[in-house]
Order: sequence, then structure tokens, then C-alpha cells
Amino acid sequence: MSEHKDHRVQQPTRANGGKREMTRRQFLGYTLGGTTAFLAAGPVLPMLRFAVDPLLQPASDSDWVRVVEESEITDEPKSFTFVVKQIDGWYESEPTLEAWIARGEDGKIFALNPTCKHLGCTVNWNSNPRFPNQYYCPCHDAHYTKEGKNLAVSPLPLDQYEVKIEGGFVYLGSLGPNQLVD
Amino acid sequence: MAHGPHSNDEKIVYVGDSRVRKKTHRPDPADYTAYPGKSEAFIPNFLLKEWMVGAVVLVGFLMLVMSHPAPLGYPADPTNTAIIPMPDWYFLFMYQLLKYPYASEDYLVFGTVIVPGIMFGALLLAPFLDTGKERRFYKRPMASSLMLVTLAAVTYLTVYSWVHYQHELERQGLVPDHIRAEEERQRAREEGREPDTANRPNQQPIAIVGEDEEGYEIYTRATCATCHMPDLNGNPSLLGIGDKHDKEGILAIIHEGVGGMPAQYEDNIAKGLTDEEIDTLAEWLAKQSANPEE
Amino acid sequence: MLKSIYNWIDERLDVTPIWRDVADHEVPEHVNPAHHFSAFVYCFGGLTFFITVIQILSGMFLVFYYVPDIVNAYNSVDYLQHKVAFGVIVRGMHHWGASLVIVMMFLHTLRVFFTGSYKNPREMNWVVGMLIFFVMLGLGFTGYLLPWDNKAYFATQVGLQIADSVPFIGEYIKTFLQGGSIVGAQTLTRFFALHVFFLPAVLLGLLGAHFIMIRRQGISGPL
Repeated sequence: MSEHKDHRVQQPTRANGGKREMTRRQFLGYTLGGTTAFLAAGPVLPMLRFAVDPLLQPASDSDWVRVVEESEITDEPKSFTFVVKQIDGWYESEPTLEAWIARGEDGKIFALNPTCKHLGCTVNWNSNPRFPNQYYCPCHDAHYTKEGKNLAVSPLPLDQYEVKIEGGFVYLGSLGPNQLVD
Repeated sequence: MAHGPHSNDEKIVYVGDSRVRKKTHRPDPADYTAYPGKSEAFIPNFLLKEWMVGAVVLVGFLMLVMSHPAPLGYPADPTNTAIIPMPDWYFLFMYQLLKYPYASEDYLVFGTVIVPGIMFGALLLAPFLDTGKERRFYKRPMASSLMLVTLAAVTYLTVYSWVHYQHELERQGLVPDHIRAEEERQRAREEGREPDTANRPNQQPIAIVGEDEEGYEIYTRATCATCHMPDLNGNPSLLGIGDKHDKEGILAIIHEGVGGMPAQYEDNIAKGLTDEEIDTLAEWLAKQSANPEE
Repeated sequence: MLKSIYNWIDERLDVTPIWRDVADHEVPEHVNPAHHFSAFVYCFGGLTFFITVIQILSGMFLVFYYVPDIVNAYNSVDYLQHKVAFGVIVRGMHHWGASLVIVMMFLHTLRVFFTGSYKNPREMNWVVGMLIFFVMLGLGFTGYLLPWDNKAYFATQVGLQIADSVPFIGEYIKTFLQGGSIVGAQTLTRFFALHVFFLPAVLLGLLGAHFIMIRRQGISGPL
């Protein structure tokens, strides 16, 4: 509101050898503005910090989950389900996730998430005769190579789980963008 | 009305294009130049003073908020009997009023409807009951004295209700729910675990471990079963107690008490239990677990 | 820039007189604590409003996390107070503010009563003020249940029992508030609806009327 009172404020007088001095009214205006800012900031700043808390939470790495014996993994991708513990605020749940695990040409094991990167449907390996040995999404005909490279419709390759082999078992970690294809 | 024929001597002034007659007179706000003393503009002069008071109040308020976290007890449990129901403090006087014989049982209507009805009704309609011109409180003794008597009564009832509540807590050996919950959170923080306060209504019931053992037989003879019940699911429940305390912890509680529970050792010796039996009992209780090892 | 936007709007809507009336009205000396220290009793109305604003804001922010459901209500309050940064402050402001607003309003009412300020021509403003008082008590009563802890649950039990004892209509009031035959899931949603939508809407309407009337009539003169 203070901007609109300008026409009532007298121009600062040039007293004391040309030094500009504040009028009493300007001084009151600034003090009032400062007090207003204090009265507003006191209660509102904690509330804002409270509201933006999720933005400032560090991204949490999910724990490693043991999924399957290493010996069961072949060159052909196979679907495995596994259960993760998920803490969503005050709600704790154990959703079942799915991963397609296979051995690459170099013999290394990799795991892909079957969520289509087009619009989030679920892809399946080798499920359409038109696209043999590919992941195929029934929603909009998106299909991917064995490494998850997007061949049509989808803008991005399939996401990939971190994989760890320990004691003959495959462990899956957090989900991230595909590193196998470029 | 606007288009009807009207005489020429009635001049109508319209506001803009509307057919609303312009008001030539409205009650002017009081002109304080008539009063002695200096008046000043609301913004910025007066508001600044008001907000200085506001700033002091805000600082005090935030200090209260920071030093006293809002209380939060255990989740609502309709079967909990260790609670003395208390409304927020500003309802206490009503609550206390209902405890008196002329405001309860057959006269309950008197306490719940008539007294508050007269009180709040009179307050609501004060300007129409006290219609005299005089504003000074000492010049209208009826209104002022009624208000003072009511204030005194409300204050008395509120304070009495609170004191009575404190006495009841002490007599029954109860600790208010929110304090118990806060103690549990404090313990959990120190031990680096999650506090056992969450609301989990669909939890699997915990079973007694080893009901055919000697420990259970001792338990039923000990003082424990009076409150914790023979099935251990009393108040508070001892089912799964071994997950919270080990044998030494349980012995310490038997000897020294905990929270609202007084020490039980002497009473049990008096009941004819031996030290060995109490030891077996503590060992048996420590085995009570939600996930017993097979 | 701001000024030209303001002028553009003002040319069309003539808003200046509206806020000028509020900003420039003269405040007499007898209510000014800078002149007479005892005049601080005239501050309680403004302070009530200030705390009310804090209540509305903190309440709005609390609903970012709170769920009105008997399984999750407690857990969400527990989460927002103990896990979310500044949650203990925001819930603390709402909890203690609820008491403080009653205190301030009570003092404001006493000031108006003992200075006889409710007399002609300000009768209507007194009645509106008392209605605000009742709405605030209603907000206190409905808000007490929402954390769904033992204290909340049992106090509401008692409160509804008192409502039940009112002759003829008591049973209906109780069932309406309770939403069923026990204090439970349906009670919580009803209390939530009353606490965050219905009562605040009534409160804002009454506050508007209260302020318009005081502006129209001016503050009562010195004694």
C-alpha cells in the first residue's frame, strides 16, 4: 500500500548542506513496513519450510533386494517379481515389483523395468509375433530390443535396475536410466 | 419503479447507469476532533503502535511454541480405561458444573441447557438488556456485578476442575496419556529406534508364549494379573513384552515400578511368592514376543 | 510500473476511496497506547484477528499432511510433527494459537463490556461479536478430535454426551455430529468438514460484518 501514498509524502528537504533527509511520514512508513515484514515472516517462514520439506529430502537409495539365483539367468530375458519395503510418509507398504533379467552378450547380468517409457503400460518379452525377440507394449505398439533400446513410439529406452551378484544370488537395487544403450 | 410516472419535483440522481438512487446522506463516522486530545491517522501512525504490541505478542507466542511442543498422546483406543477424559481448558467450567448434584442426573437439563442458555443468552443480548445511556461500569452496577459474579464463578469452576483432575491422576496413579507418549518417544530417541506409538489397527493379535509353563502358573498367582489380566491382554497389555524389556528390565520394573505402576515386589512376597519364583516369572515374561522363536 | 498498473485499475474501478477510508481514518487518542498506557486494552481485538490469521494459515499448511481418517489421522499427525522439518512449530502454532485466540477474544469481550461500548448504536456489532465467540468455541471443539489420540477421543465422547442430554433435539444433534452410533470414522470426517470448511466460512463472514460495522460506526468515544 505504501507506494500509493507517494503523493502525500512531502519531498525530502535539502537541509544540512544538501543532505537528503527523511520526512517523519517516510520514516513511519518504513518502520511500519519493517514491522509488517516481521509480523508476516515470523509465522509464515516456518510454514513455508514445512510445506517444501519433500523438496529438500535427499533422494533415498533403495536397499538391495535378493531376487533369484544367478544360475537361473539365461540369455533369454525372464520375468522375476520381488518385494520391496516402501515408506511413503506415514504409510509403509511392501509392493511387488517386476524385473526382466537376462545375460547380455558380454555375459553380464542386467535387469530392466517393464514399464513402457511411452505412457507407462507394461511391456512383455516376445509377446507379439511381429516383433520376435523384442519387448513389446500392447498399448501403442512400442517395442524395444533385448537391451531395452527403444525402436518405435517410445522416446526413451527401458529403465534399468542396479544389479549386484553376491554369493550366487542376483540382488537388485535402485531404478535408474538405461546405461546399456545410447 | 424506475420507469413509472413520477412527479417532476422529485429529482432523482442516478449513480452511473444503474437505477440505484444516489445516497445524499450516510451516517458519518464519529468525528473525534470533538474529543479532547490528539487523534492520528490509522496508517501509518496508529497501526505502527498496534503492531509494536503485535510484535511483542508474536515473540512471546513463538517462544511458547518452541519451548512447548503440542501434546500428542497414544492413538485413540476406546477400550483404554487409564484415561480421565478432559476437554480443552476453556470448556472446563461447563464440565465441572455438570458434576454438581443440581446439574446432573435428574437435573442434567439444568446444567447442560438452562444455566449455559441463560449465561450465553444474556451475554448475546446484553445490549438489549442493559439499555441505559451510561457507559461507565461503576455507573451500571447491575450489569457489572452480574458479569463479575459470572467471571468469578467461571474462574472458580475452571480452577477447581483442574485441581480435581490433578488429584484424581495422583489418586489413581495415572500419568496423562500425552506425557506417557512423549516419554516413549524420548526413550525411542535414546535407543535409536522407532517409537511404539503408531496406529496399527490391523495388527495380528499377539499370542501368549508358553501358557503351559511354570512361569504362567506363577503369573496367575502374582499381583500382575489384577491389572494385566490372566490373558496378559490387560491394561497395559503384556503380550509381546519381551520385545521391549529383557529379564533384568522386567525384574527392575517389578522391584521399582514404572510410569503409573507402583513397585510390586513387596506385595508379591507378602502374597507368598519366593524370590526364585519371581525370577522364573521375569524369565517367562521376557520370553513373551510378537515373533517367538519356534 | 506498479503505479501505472494501479492507475489503470483505479481509472476503471475507482478503488482509491475504499482503501483510503481504511488507511486515513482518524484514530482518537483514548485508544492509543502511546498516549495512555492503559489504552492497551483496546489492542485485544486486533490481536485476536492477528492470531486468527495465524490459525488460518497454519491450518492450511497442516492439511498438506493431515488425513481425516481413523487409521491414518494419528499417524499423519505424528509424521508431520516428528518427521517433517518445522512440523513441531507449525502444529505448535495451531495448538497454542487455538488457546491464545480464546484468551484474546475473552479479553476483547471484557473490554467492550466494561467500557459499555456495546450500547446504542453498536448493538448489532456486539451480537455479531458474540456469534464469532461461539464459532470459535465450535472450532476449538471440532479441532480437538482431529489428532485422534486418546485425549481427543474421550473428550469428544463427553462433549457429545452433553449434547445428547439436551431435551427433544439432543439425540438428533448427537447423531448428526457423530454420523453414526459411535464416535468413529464418520465422526472424524464430520468434525474435519466442520472444522476446515463450514465453521471457517461462517467465521470469515462474521468477521467481515464485524469490521465493516466498526468502520461504519467508528470506535466508541472516550468514557
